Amino acid sequence: MDNENEFTGADILLKALKDQEVDTIFGYPGGAVLPIYDAIFGQNFLKHVLVRQEAGAVHAAEGYARSSGKVGVLLVTSGPGVTNVVTGLTDALMDSIPIVCISGQVPSHLIGTDAFQECDTTGITRPCTKHNYLVKDVSKLSETIHEAFKIASSGRPGPVLIDIPKDVQFAKSKYIPKKDISFREHRIKAGSKNVDKNFVQELVNHIKNSERPIFYVGGGCLNSGPQASQELIKLVNKTNIPITTTLHGLGCFPGEDKSSLGMLGMHGNYEANLAMNKCDLMINVGARFDDRVTGRLDAFSPDSVKFHIDIDQSSINKNVKVDFHTNTDITQTLKEINSFIESDNIELEKKDYTNWWGQINDWRKKECLHYEQGEEIIKPQHAISRLYDLTTQKDTFITTEVGQHQMWAAQYYKFSKPNRWITSGGLGTMGFGMPAAVGAQMANPDSLVIDIAGEASFLMNIQEIATAVQYKLPIKIFILNNEYMGMVRQWQELLHGSRYSESYVDALPDFKKLAESFNAVGVRAKNVSELDDAINEMVSIDRPVIADIWVDKKENCFPMIPSGAAHHEMLLSKYDKENPENQEKGKVLV
Amino acid sequence: MSSTSVYPTPINAFKQSKRSVLSVIVDNEPGILARIVGLFSGRGYNIEALNVTVVDIKNNLSRITIETLGEEKVISQIIAQLEKLVPVHSATNLANLSESYEAEICLVKIEFDNNEQDQKILNFADIYRSRTVQKRQNIVVYEISGTSERINKFLDDLNTIGGIKVELVRSGPIGLGI
Repeated sequence: MDNENEFTGADILLKALKDQEVDTIFGYPGGAVLPIYDAIFGQNFLKHVLVRQEAGAVHAAEGYARSSGKVGVLLVTSGPGVTNVVTGLTDALMDSIPIVCISGQVPSHLIGTDAFQECDTTGITRPCTKHNYLVKDVSKLSETIHEAFKIASSGRPGPVLIDIPKDVQFAKSKYIPKKDISFREHRIKAGSKNVDKNFVQELVNHIKNSERPIFYVGGGCLNSGPQASQELIKLVNKTNIPITTTLHGLGCFPGEDKSSLGMLGMHGNYEANLAMNKCDLMINVGARFDDRVTGRLDAFSPDSVKFHIDIDQSSINKNVKVDFHTNTDITQTLKEINSFIESDNIELEKKDYTNWWGQINDWRKKECLHYEQGEEIIKPQHAISRLYDLTTQKDTFITTEVGQHQMWAAQYYKFSKPNRWITSGGLGTMGFGMPAAVGAQMANPDSLVIDIAGEASFLMNIQEIATAVQYKLPIKIFILNNEYMGMVRQWQELLHGSRYSESYVDALPDFKKLAESFNAVGVRAKNVSELDDAINEMVSIDRPVIADIWVDKKENCFPMIPSGAAHHEMLLSKYDKENPENQEKGKVLV
Repeated sequence: MSSTSVYPTPINAFKQSKRSVLSVIVDNEPGILARIVGLFSGRGYNIEALNVTVVDIKNNLSRITIETLGEEKVISQIIAQLEKLVPVHSATNLANLSESYEAEICLVKIEFDNNEQDQKILNFADIYRSRTVQKRQNIVVYEISGTSERINKFLDDLNTIGGIKVELVRSGPIGLGI
């Protein structure tokens, strides 16, 4: 008996996506999701982007989410379709990116029989999602989808997967709209809304009495929304306290501002790492004391009182013990700190930290990002600097792959706004940047989206250039081509006696011809004199472009805190020698 | 432990590995046990004992009791990680409560050959107030409950009797705060 209030599971999914204001979905069809694809065929609110491999869909959804602040959505089939997204789900979990992955599953009665394209999807993805579901009953589908979106975007965001067997996609039930669902609080884990007044008061007291304070800001500030960045800028301007950001914090505070010490950590700025080492007050805003940031733990910022604002309770005291913490939303907390300082009219205005800034400016004189650009071979640092100079006036989003080019991009490309910098930090996924650029361009059709890439990473998801061409997405792939897995080569040089085991990439394609074969555009710069023209040409073409920039093959990424070393043991150039004892210890670390 | 803070940390507060019993209230739904066990194995924590049962049919809640070993810092991290799991309502370290009670149940099957052994077994069973579940000519099955420590002692004492064969099952500790 057909009831007009009842819909198929596939239609319920589409209704729920509409209800959630989803307008873009990245996916790849297959047997177990055909009913959903059939439903997609008959509607027009949802734009489906057909990727060329499921890994592309998940990274595109990440790029979409990061650049828009919305939840990224993808749709894949059972078996290999969903196992292909495991890397991307893990990436999103590590970097706290809200995405919802819908996967098809074999029909309920075949589950457990090793059916064609069957796999234990919820089992495989359990440790790499914030939460996942297998929906066995179509009447539970609406509620499950709405809860999934809520969980993905609440508290510390992350990936959520919904596995839907094919028979459930055909089965019928009523649709329950989002507004009629009452979420159970313990499952959403949104964090406390009430700012801890004691924490705020304690922090302001410490600011008043400190001589060498520093803000250490991470991706949590980004995830709290653009208002967090505004409150942060206000607070930094008011207090005149120097600020350093993690890889993911870039853009939360304007990189060109005089208070910014740039990025800290393994390839962070000398002044940022030294300031972290010598500070007497550390204010951690949404960062998680990652090993790439702290260096050797027993020498990490030994003399500071540490404050930590993080929505995720498990980030507190995980790697570094802090003195004060709060698990409240960063925007609300910073707002409260700002208004407390204003209402109290605290004598902060008079504090200009003359000695502290004097010390920092001495460290700055080291010019840790200095490089010598000769007349012929392009230095990779110079390529990024020119890219920055020639695109900074535009509305630009930068994605990256993983490796040396990623670190140079973080060092030499300055960001003035949040959500403009999209990179794989926690997991370090090569092949992330190009599909992420596809996602970012879908979310921001009129902006300039550039994937700063290395040739090795680019080859990992090169098939997605076809996606960009099909949907007329004018993304730019800016390859720093050194014919090596550069970061692997650098570590082999520094730690393994320059034995370049398998890090040379032989038989590279001709990237210009490759672009043309995909109906994209290829440009190339072989030497310094061709660089600006190549960048300008790349930017001016309103189609996908691959720019093959030939850079110095042996350039290393500095400054560098070698693994196992502390912040004050940075190497500034290849002429700096590492403490041999640290080198032995560092070799066994990652 | 990691950094030195200007605020003194009690010495050894973060170094001593000790036994903790965690009580976790969860939504009774498919996969919840796998989530918890996976969290422990994935992050390298220990599970010494585990007990799971539905405790509230109306609200569909289960209570999971986990005995684990770790430094205080690790235990706090386990609690924080458990509380991040979507179906978890709460995770409590019973040691942190002002008052809590623990019990475990154990079934022991003992095979013996002679009267002397039988007398010794009977004697220990009496001292520990264990209940006889079944007794045949050469086999006796006892049920003993109490703290895990008490059960350990009973089993230690049994092991002083030579020539008997012991097979047992333990529930792992369960506990409740007041």
